[in-house]
Amino acid sequence: MKLKVTKKPTMATTKKNDKKKKEKQKIAKEKRTSDKKEERRNKKLLKSNKKEKVRDRLKKIDLRDEEDENAQSSDYKEASEPDSPGRGIPKGDAPSNSTIEAPNYNDAHTSGNDDDESYFSVEESDSSEDEVAPRNTIGDVPLEFYKDEEHIGYDVKGRKIKKKGRTDNIANFLKINDELNDEEVELSRKEIKIIRRIAEGKTPHADVDPYAPYVDWFDWDGKGHPLSNAPEPKRRFIPSKSEAKKISKYVRAIREGRIKFDKPKEEPKVYLLWGDDSSSSEKTRGLYTSLRGVPAYENYLKECFNRLLDLYLCPRARKKRLNVTLESLKPKRVDPKDLKPYPTTCYVEYKGHNGAVVSISTESTGQWIASGSIDGTVRIWEVATGRCVRVWEVGSAVRHVAWNPLPNQPILAVSVDQDVLILDTGLGSEEEQRKISDLLQFEKPAIPDESGDADIVSWHSDDKLGGLRLKHFKTVSSIEWHRRGDYFSTLSKKGSQRIPFKLHGLPISTTFHPSRSIFFIATKKNVRVYDLLKEKLIKKLDTKLREVSSMAVHPGGDNVIVGSREGKLCWFDMDLSSTPYKTLKYHTKDITNVAFHRSYPLFASCSEDGKAYVFHGMVYSDLNQDPLIVPVRILQGHCISNRNVAGVLDCKFHPRQPWLFTAGADSVIKLFCH
Amino acid sequence: MPKHYRPPGKKKEGNAAKYVTRSQAVKGLQVTLPLFRKLCIWKGIFPRDPKKKLKGNHQTYYHTKDMSFLHHDPLVDIHRDIRAHDKKIKKALSKDNKPRAERLKDQKPTYNLDRLIIERYPRFIDALGDLDDCLTMVHLFAALPTLQNEKVQVKHIHTCRRLSHEWQAYIARTHKLRKTFISVKGIYYQVEVDGQKITWIAPHSIQQVLTDDVDFNVMLTFLEYYETLLAFVNFQLYHNINVKYPPILDPRLEALAAELYALSRYIDSRPMEQDNDKLLNQVDEPNLMLSQLQHQLAPSEPGALMHLVEETELVDDADGETKECRSVFKNLRFFLSREVPREPLLFVISAFGGMVSWEGDGAPFEESDPSITHQIVDRPTQGHMFLSREYVQPQWVFDSVNARIILPTEDYLVGRVPPPHLSPFVDNEAEGYTPDYAQKIKQLQAAAKKDVLPIPAIGNEDQDDTQNLLLDGVADRVEANKAAEKKKEMLKHEKQFHNELKMELQGVSHAAGTLQNMEAVKDQADKDEISEEPDLSEIGMSRRKRGLYQSILINKQRKKAKLDKLESRKRRIEESQK
Repeated sequence: MKLKVTKKPTMATTKKNDKKKKEKQKIAKEKRTSDKKEERRNKKLLKSNKKEKVRDRLKKIDLRDEEDENAQSSDYKEASEPDSPGRGIPKGDAPSNSTIEAPNYNDAHTSGNDDDESYFSVEESDSSEDEVAPRNTIGDVPLEFYKDEEHIGYDVKGRKIKKKGRTDNIANFLKINDELNDEEVELSRKEIKIIRRIAEGKTPHADVDPYAPYVDWFDWDGKGHPLSNAPEPKRRFIPSKSEAKKISKYVRAIREGRIKFDKPKEEPKVYLLWGDDSSSSEKTRGLYTSLRGVPAYENYLKECFNRLLDLYLCPRARKKRLNVTLESLKPKRVDPKDLKPYPTTCYVEYKGHNGAVVSISTESTGQWIASGSIDGTVRIWEVATGRCVRVWEVGSAVRHVAWNPLPNQPILAVSVDQDVLILDTGLGSEEEQRKISDLLQFEKPAIPDESGDADIVSWHSDDKLGGLRLKHFKTVSSIEWHRRGDYFSTLSKKGSQRIPFKLHGLPISTTFHPSRSIFFIATKKNVRVYDLLKEKLIKKLDTKLREVSSMAVHPGGDNVIVGSREGKLCWFDMDLSSTPYKTLKYHTKDITNVAFHRSYPLFASCSEDGKAYVFHGMVYSDLNQDPLIVPVRILQGHCISNRNVAGVLDCKFHPRQPWLFTAGADSVIKLFCH
Repeated sequence: MPKHYRPPGKKKEGNAAKYVTRSQAVKGLQVTLPLFRKLCIWKGIFPRDPKKKLKGNHQTYYHTKDMSFLHHDPLVDIHRDIRAHDKKIKKALSKDNKPRAERLKDQKPTYNLDRLIIERYPRFIDALGDLDDCLTMVHLFAALPTLQNEKVQVKHIHTCRRLSHEWQAYIARTHKLRKTFISVKGIYYQVEVDGQKITWIAPHSIQQVLTDDVDFNVMLTFLEYYETLLAFVNFQLYHNINVKYPPILDPRLEALAAELYALSRYIDSRPMEQDNDKLLNQVDEPNLMLSQLQHQLAPSEPGALMHLVEETELVDDADGETKECRSVFKNLRFFLSREVPREPLLFVISAFGGMVSWEGDGAPFEESDPSITHQIVDRPTQGHMFLSREYVQPQWVFDSVNARIILPTEDYLVGRVPPPHLSPFVDNEAEGYTPDYAQKIKQLQAAAKKDVLPIPAIGNEDQDDTQNLLLDGVADRVEANKAAEKKKEMLKHEKQFHNELKMELQGVSHAAGTLQNMEAVKDQADKDEISEEPDLSEIGMSRRKRGLYQSILINKQRKKAKLDKLESRKRRIEESQK
């Protein structure tokens, strides 16, 4: 019940009615508690000594009677007076605890005193009568314990109280024996009267009327409604479940810290954000400076458990693991040093052009090279010295230059815009020179008859440059001489096909077979091989490249290399199949040209990325043996300018030596020797 | 027609026949899932990863063969019997028939796992090769508190402690410990037994953190198997060195929690007793045990004991490394302070030939013993110091052991921050980065090797000597470097000469350049040759190979970048210190 009362303040949400009820309850409870307390006290007293209590009660009643009587009549008072001292004195004496005296003696002793005083003393002592402890202090033990003893117990100071001899005479019939204190208490007349009344079943006092008529003290008039007379319902006495739930909820919240009573601490808004920065260099040292500093590792058990889970839960499969080293990946091949000679380093640079050198061509003896540039000049250089022998100003950008392959006919074919110029270089001996001049003179009337088609090509003599001018309708992009130097093929843009074969797509590059009358035409995707005599297609090589840029035929005639715009190089073995025998991708930019050496097993490719690769490309006479292709050298040297033409634009091998000429967009021609 | 329709009468083929899902397997075996797990753990059966998962991706697949293998195992039957027996007990109890229940409890069928071990590891060496996990688990449980609610009983922990101590005692006795490393998780040990490298971790002796997400049923199942395995392995190992296996320990030392020491004493005493044993075979068992105990108790002077041990060791044939390990701490006497973790140090030091004592009862010698050379201390300051010995931190022991030499102690003295604890498991050459301290250790090792004399034992002299040795080593190194450089230069000259000769022979036309030019060109050629090498090899490769090749190159570059970072950091630190 107490708990309930204390809890009450925590309840914030109770209705007003509830409150009222509670208050009522409270009052009722308090009443009850006080009643109970009294009862308890009474019980105690009863227990302590019944006899005395009975006496006390009687006395109280008696006193009240006396008062009443005092109020009513003095006679009665006087009449009762002689009794009071006899009764009162032993009680007044009790606290002093002097000795136990017979009441008779007491009477005699106090008889001398003033009557009024004694009476008052009795009145005074009456209030302290309740507190007076019994003389015997043995407490609530059975009295049989002292049956055989000489004393009945002990007084307050611990002295034995002797037993008194029991006087069993008739005079004592009005006395009651108090066993505990071993004394006889004399009953007064009034007490006897009360006893008698009780025995008769009446109220102890004569003037109490148990059957008095009921007087309703409450004023019922003017009240709107009656006060409830209903008994208190049970629920007011038992603890509420819903409240208990709420309380437990609050308790939990408080325990878990969800409800906080103290205000949240105000944290300083500005603080040492970077900490102590000065010791940052020391932090790089190990984490723990001593063994004792190593803390417990929290996840150890968990990690061990995970390992066990792996052991029995993890599906296992055999995985092929490549155990490769760089060396094992590299293809087994001959050391490039064994494949010497090949061009390695740049020895000579030919400088003189003002624009990118687009095309170069070597003379069949290997003494001279010719070069054409976009600055509109054609130059002839001496290979060994790097000296420029001759310069022609052709007007506009040169696209291609080509020497006549015959050593005794030092004639140069140059393609400029829509024209092909056939120039007399004047480098031969006198006899040869005469022949050439005759030839160039002679051709003028003769050739138009032969071609019989004046629409496409018209022949003119060019006096300024000293040669022939063949006019085409479209731009001529390349010129290829027949091996004997009798014919050459020209290649011009769009719609100028004058070949007796059907061609799919635009021709990009053409070549004559080095020994037989076979003609190669490279279109964007394919290489077509034609027999010139039978005038029919022999073979079609599928390059599988995106865009072919150049082509070269092996001097044996059975192998072709094709360079492409995506930087790939295909090697075709014509006897083997029409698909590439090998495709190599190493250039990062377009391949501009590819070339075979005439006598050495070498081939080269040059690209816009400014590099020229030299390969060892051995073709065996044994048909069962595949050609051997080994990269041997990367030649660099041309600076890559960021103009629209860049890198190495042309490469040609020296006809006799394993040397390579490269023509760069930086207007320099370089010679790489072994 | 359904996707995987199989006409009647046709057998299953392929993945459908090869693999079963877990639930199928459990059904087929007619066991409960927990028992199935247990069996899989014990038998070492693990799920497979079929290429084609017929029952879906979320299933676990097992080999059908594995399951039939499991099906024929007697353990399945025994466990069925156990289950039936448990039911009987339950029934008896529910009928209030306690005597019957008690009787039944006593007759409960038991099983053992030794057959499984011989099945999984047909040869002893196979078992040794697969001991890593086993040792780690046993050492973990030896450091675990008992958990009533998790079924980790005291029995398990005691067994694990005993087994781990037996293993350590064997390793220490035979000097087979090779590498140690203190990490945050615990202490890593690597031993080499019969050519098998076994690595395990023993957690620090700090209270382990227990998490909720650990299923102790699984761990205990594993532990049951591992306990059996390690017990058998220990038996074999003890048998190999002629020691009776279940060791009978000095109860006094056992009570003082010095089991490892007691074990080592037991092992050391055994070989000498062999002759006695034969005589004692006639005597009945309790007598034998008593006499053994008395024998062990008798040599209270550990020095004498060790001496005996040394003599016996001369007989056995040890390989080079064992010999080296045995003599690292030879003639040194260690004393462990109170705060130092005793067991790991006891193990490590005795495995490398040192003698150890500690503070407490049952210790072989007292702290005041004047013959102590090193005292291992792990406190910020040391109050009273004996001048005759050195006070070092525990890390010194581990570093010395890894380096196989006695390192100079001044870096490890009490109160100092010791040098970095380098892992012996890292191959510096492969990694490409050698820490400074590793280099220093290397020099010291070289110096120690050069010195023919055994390393002197006593304190200060020892230190001085190592200092001298160090200096010697440095001087040697410098000289060697110089010589190497000279040689290089000579070679270079020679090469140049050859080149020139070659050029002359080939008769290259010197049209373009003078002699100076030539040389420049040649230099360039040299450079080219070096730079072009990888590019050229890449040309001939197929696309797949090229991809591999490039990925390897990228890996190499990454590694190099890492190293560069390390180096640059190091440089920065050095600069900041200046």
